[in-house]
Amino acid sequence: MKNNGAQAKIDVVCGMDLAPYADSVHIRYQEKVFYFCGEYCAARFTQSPEQFIGEPLIRLDTVWKVFRLGATAVEVLKGFSLNIWRGDFVAIIGASGSGKSTALNMIGLLDRPTSGTITFANNDISLLKDQERAQLRSQTFGFVFQQYNLIPWLSAHENVALPMMFAQKNINQERLNASFREIGLENRMAHRPLELSGGEQQRIAVLRALANDPDIILADEPTGNLDSTTGNKILEMLANLNKTHNKTLVVVTHDADIAAKADQVVAIKDGRLVRNHKTYKYVE
Amino acid sequence: MLKNFLSLIFKSVWHRPMRGWLTILGIIIGVMLVVIIFALSSGIQNAVARLLQQFGSDLVIILPGKETNPFLGLAGGQKFKEDNLLDLKNIRGVRLVVPMNIAILNTEFKGEKKSVMFHSQPWREYRVVAEESKALKLIEGTWPEKEDAREVILGNRAAFKLFRATPMVGDELIIKGRRFRIAGIFSEVGMQDEDNQIWMSMKDFQALTAQRGMASSAAVKLEPDANAELIARQIKFKLSEQEVVRDFSVLTPAKANQLIGNILSVIEISLLLIAMISLIVGAVGIMNTMYTSVLERTKQIGIMKAIGASDDAILSLFLIESGLIGFTGGILGIFFGLIVAWAAGIAAANFGIRGLFSLASLDFFGLLSVLIITFVTGIVAGILPARQASRMEPADALRYE
Repeated sequence: MKNNGAQAKIDVVCGMDLAPYADSVHIRYQEKVFYFCGEYCAARFTQSPEQFIGEPLIRLDTVWKVFRLGATAVEVLKGFSLNIWRGDFVAIIGASGSGKSTALNMIGLLDRPTSGTITFANNDISLLKDQERAQLRSQTFGFVFQQYNLIPWLSAHENVALPMMFAQKNINQERLNASFREIGLENRMAHRPLELSGGEQQRIAVLRALANDPDIILADEPTGNLDSTTGNKILEMLANLNKTHNKTLVVVTHDADIAAKADQVVAIKDGRLVRNHKTYKYVE
Repeated sequence: MLKNFLSLIFKSVWHRPMRGWLTILGIIIGVMLVVIIFALSSGIQNAVARLLQQFGSDLVIILPGKETNPFLGLAGGQKFKEDNLLDLKNIRGVRLVVPMNIAILNTEFKGEKKSVMFHSQPWREYRVVAEESKALKLIEGTWPEKEDAREVILGNRAAFKLFRATPMVGDELIIKGRRFRIAGIFSEVGMQDEDNQIWMSMKDFQALTAQRGMASSAAVKLEPDANAELIARQIKFKLSEQEVVRDFSVLTPAKANQLIGNILSVIEISLLLIAMISLIVGAVGIMNTMYTSVLERTKQIGIMKAIGASDDAILSLFLIESGLIGFTGGILGIFFGLIVAWAAGIAAANFGIRGLFSLASLDFFGLLSVLIITFVTGIVAGILPARQASRMEPADALRYE
C-alpha cells in the first residue's frame, strides 16, 4: 500500500481527553483519529501514514446488534465501527453491559450482526455460510474466555487436542506434550478441568486457543476470574504471543493495567465507540 | 481422527447422569421382549409339533366348536351322542373310533384329596391308538382288560408328583366316593396337562358321572393307506346329520398343525406389537434424553463451536451419541432377553415342557438386525435434538448457563 507524499489531509489535534495518555498526540487522518505516545512517533506517522497503518485486517462498519427478548428489543451495539490491524494488541474497554463482549463476538464470528458489515482481510464475512464461518473460526481465531470454558468431561490434554480434531488435523502428540511442558503443566495433562486451579485452567485454555496456530487471539476478560498474580501471568502469556509470535490480540477487559499495555485501546459506552486510541507502532 | 471422535462421544455418554441410563433401560426392555418372543416362539412351535407327531398321522380328531375359533377345545360344554360317533366306523377307511370324555373329579389317595382331570375312553380301542402311535407307554402295570372293572391308569406326574404318598400299581384311589384300582402308570409325555391326567374307561366314567351315551370328543384312527382329508370330509358330512352338536371341527393332523400355528402366530404378533410399542416408547425416551442433553450441554456446544466445530461436527456428535444409546440398549436387551428366555426354558422344562428355548428363529442375522434397528432408532430419535444443537449461534449457546 503506497501513498506517495502523504497527500491526505492530516490534522494534528492536541489537548487530550484521556488521563493515562495525557502526554500523547492524536491525529485525525481520513476521518479517523489515531493516538500516539510522544511527538516523535506522531511525526513519523505524519510523514507516511499508510506505511504504519496499511489495510486493516478486521473492519467493523456501523454494526448494529439488537437482541429481542419477547416484545422488547435491546440494542447492544448501535452503529459500532472499528478497525484492527495485523499484529496489534487491541484492548476493548467499557463498563459491563456496554456491548464490548458482543463486539468481540462479532469479530470472532461467534455472532451475526443485525445490520452492518464485518470485513476480514477485505472479505465481507458477515455474509458467510455457517460452514465457512466455522472453518474461519477453526483456522484463524483462538478464543480465551473469562470462565475458561474447558469441556468438563475431557482431560486437559483432550481439551487442547479438541480444536485439532474439529479442524480434522492429525494430532501431533509430540508438539502437544511440548506445549504443556512449556507452560509447566506436563504433569496435569491427564487431569479434568475441575481438578485444576483457575490459573491452570486458563493456561490450558490459552494452549487450546493456540492449538491450530491461529493468527488472531480473542480473549474475553481472560483475567476476570483470577487473582492479580495469576492474572498477570496469563496476561504475560498473551502479550508474549503478540510480541514474539506476532499474533493479533484482542482483549476485552476493564482492567486499566491491561489497557495500558495495548497498542490500541477501544472504549465502548452504550453500544457506541467513544474512544479509539491507537498507539503508533513502528514497522521496519 | 474417527477414533478420537468416537472416544469423545464415549466420554460424553459415560458422563451422562442416571437419567441417560434409564433411557437405555427403556430400549433394553423393548429389545428384551423381542428377543424373548423370538427365542421362545420356535420352541413352542416345535413342542406342539412334537406333541402332534406323537399321535401319528393317521388320527382324525373330532371336537365341538368351529375350526375358526382360536380357543377351540377350550370351548367344551356341548357333547356328542356316543352312538353318532361310533357310527363313523362305517365310513370306508376308518379303522377305529375312540369316543372320549374329560372331566375334573375329586380323587382321594390315603386321605389326601385332589381335583384331578380325568380322561375317559374305551380301553381296547385306546390301547391300539396309544401303542401304535407310541405316544403313551406304560412304565408300570398293564392295560385293563375289562371296561367295567373300575381300574385306572395314572399319568406320570399324577403318579409321582400329585400326591404326597406315591401311589403304586394295585393301590386304591377313591374317585367320587367309589374305589378304583390302579392298573398302570404311563411314561412322561412332556406336556403338563397330559401328565397330570388319570385315565378311566368310558363305561366307568359314564356310571360315575351319570352321563350315559355322551362323549365330548373322539379320535378316529384310519386304515394305513386311507386319505385323511377325504375321510375328514365324509366324517363332517355324516356328523352334520346329527342335531346335538351343530358346530364341530374335524381335525386332520395337517389341519391341527395349521390351527395351532395360527394361534401361535396371533400370540406372537400381539407380543411383537407390544415389543414394537415399547421400542417406540424407548425411542421417545431417547429423544427426551437427547433434548435435555442438548439443553444441559448448550454451553459446551457453544464452546465447541467457538473453537472451530462445524455444524456437521456437532450434528454427528449428537447423532452418533443417540445411536450409541440405542445400540447399547440393543446389546444389553439381547443379552438380558436371552438370559430370561433361557431361564424360562429351564423353568418350562421343570414343568415337563422341554426344548422351549431355541435360537432357531433368532440366528446371527436376526440378532444383527435387532442391533441395526436399535441403532437406527437411536439415530432417528436423535435427529431433531441434534439439529437443534447444531444450529445454535455460538454466542447464544455460550451465554447459556
